[in-house]
Amino acid sequence: MHTTDEFYEIIASAIAVKKELVDENLTYQEIPEWDSMSHLLIVEALEQFYQVKFDFNDILEMGTVGKIREKMKKYDVLVEN
Amino acid sequence: MKILENVIANKNLLFTDASTGATTPVGTLYRSLGLNPVEKGLIFLYNDNQVPSIEVLLNFYGTAHAIAVLGQKLHPEFKERLEAEYRPKYIFDSSRDEVQGYLLKEFSETVKIFAKEDYQPDVTIHPDIKILLSTSGTTGVPKLVKLSDENLYQNAVSILQYMPILGTDVVPLNVPINFVYGFSIFTTNCMRAGRIVCTDKDIMQKAFWDEMEEYGYSTLGGVPYLYENLNRIGFFRKDSSSLRYMTHTGGVINAELRKTIFNYCHEFEKQFFAQYGQTEAGGRMAYLTTDGLLEEETSIGTPVHGGSFRIDPETDELLFLHSSISGGYANRLEDLSTYEQPKVLHTGDTGKRGQNGLYYITGRIKRIMKLFGIRLNLDEVEFILKNELEGNTVVCLNGNDKKIIVLYDNIHIDPQTITEIIKNKLRINPQYVRTEHIESFPLSQNGKINYPLLQNLQHENI
Repeated sequence: MHTTDEFYEIIASAIAVKKELVDENLTYQEIPEWDSMSHLLIVEALEQFYQVKFDFNDILEMGTVGKIREKMKKYDVLVEN
Repeated sequence: MKILENVIANKNLLFTDASTGATTPVGTLYRSLGLNPVEKGLIFLYNDNQVPSIEVLLNFYGTAHAIAVLGQKLHPEFKERLEAEYRPKYIFDSSRDEVQGYLLKEFSETVKIFAKEDYQPDVTIHPDIKILLSTSGTTGVPKLVKLSDENLYQNAVSILQYMPILGTDVVPLNVPINFVYGFSIFTTNCMRAGRIVCTDKDIMQKAFWDEMEEYGYSTLGGVPYLYENLNRIGFFRKDSSSLRYMTHTGGVINAELRKTIFNYCHEFEKQFFAQYGQTEAGGRMAYLTTDGLLEEETSIGTPVHGGSFRIDPETDELLFLHSSISGGYANRLEDLSTYEQPKVLHTGDTGKRGQNGLYYITGRIKRIMKLFGIRLNLDEVEFILKNELEGNTVVCLNGNDKKIIVLYDNIHIDPQTITEIIKNKLRINPQYVRTEHIESFPLSQNGKINYPLLQNLQHENI
C-alpha cells in the first residue's frame, strides 16, 4: 500500500506546484500548471515511480486526482485513503 | 470588411457549443449584439474559444472598432499592464467579475462586456487596424501586431488555395484564435466549412474524443507537441473515419514522428499540411503537403499562393513578400495611430532554397526559441530574470526548442529561484528549464557577452 502523501508529492512535483494544492478534487485544467502539456508529465512521473504503463484510454480519463487514484487500482497500484 | 462579408456569405455555416449542444447559424450570430456599425474605439477580447468570445469577435468585426484578441489565460499582471497602456473602451473577459474603472454592461443574455466609465478617445486609431495580436503568448513585454482586414483576408485567400476545406466540414476550434494560426483556422473555415464546434476540451480528455465521434470532426490542427501527444495516446494506430486532414505549425516535428504521421496518412487516406507562418505575416507564409513528411531534411515547403520568398544576400535572412504583411507593431497606445505596411517582412529566420524548389530554415537571426510552438524571445526572458534577480546577469539560450537554458555566474543565486520566476512569470514548467552555473560569461571583442559561442557550447552538450 502506498501513501497518499507520496502520491500527492509525485503529482505536485511533476507540475511544479506546492503539495498543499493537491487534493482529491484537483481537476485537469483547473490550474494553469495542469494543462495538456503537463498532463503527460504527471502520467510519466506516476508510471516511473509505480513501475506501470497506463493504457491511453485511462490516461484520458485521469481528469482529477481522485480519478487517477481510481484508475491506478486497475494496475494494482493501491494508494491508501 | 472582406473577412466578415465572406463569412456571412457562407450562409450554411453553423456554430455549435459543445458543452450545451446549442447551435446558432452565422446569420444570427454575427449581429446578435445589435452594435452600431460606425462606432469605433478599441476592444480587448480575452478569448477562450467559446461561443461568446466568437460572438463578440464577429459582432465587433462588423463595426469600426479595432479588436485586440488576447488569451484569456494571460497572467493578471500582464492584463493590467496592457489595459493601463491602451485604456480600451471595452473589455470582454469572462474570467473576471470586475475590472476597475469599468462597468459590466449586458449586451445580450449571454454576453456581458466591461465598458470604460469615463471613456475618452485618447488617440485616433488608424482605420486600417482591425485586429491586434500579441506575438508571444506569455512574455512580459506587451507588443501587439497591427493587422488590417485586407491583411487577414489576403492570407485567408492564400490558405484556401491549398487547404482542402469542404462545405460539409465540421471543425473543432481547438487552437486558440488569439494565435494567428488559430485565427487563420477560424477565418478560413468560417469562409468555407459547414460547422465550427466551440469546445473547451482538448485531446488529453476523453470528452474531446467523444465529441469527435458525435460531431465527426473533419480536421485537427496543432503545434508539434499536439502530434507528440496524439502519438503517445495511440491516435495514429487506428482510423478516425471523419478526419480528412491535419494541419501543423510552430516548429519541427521529429523525424520518427514524421514517419509515423506519413504512414498514418498513407494507410487511412488523410492529408497533412505542415505550415510556416508568423503573426507579422498575417498568417501562413509557406506550406508542405503530406509527401514532404518523408524529406530527409525538414523543409518549410513553398510559399503560399500570392506570397514569395527572397533570401537576403548578405545575412541569408528569409524575407517574405505578400499583401498580408502586417502594418507594424504597437508598443504603446500612440502606436495605434499609424499603420505602415513594409514591402518585405524580415522573418528573423535564415533560410535557403533547395534544388527542388523547396525552402529550408537554416537558423535564426533573432534570439527566439519556440517552446510548444509558442514564440519566446530569449532577450525578454533575460530581461525579466534580471529584473527579478536584483540586476544579476543571466544568459538564456535555446535548448533545441525543448528547454530554456539559463546560465548564471553568481554562485549565490539559487537555481530554484530562476525556475520559480520562469514558472510564475511565463507559466513554464520547471522541467523545461535547465539552469547551469558558469564561472564567467565569455565576452566578444566589443566587450559584449558572446552569445554565439555560448550557444555553440550548448549544442555540443546536447
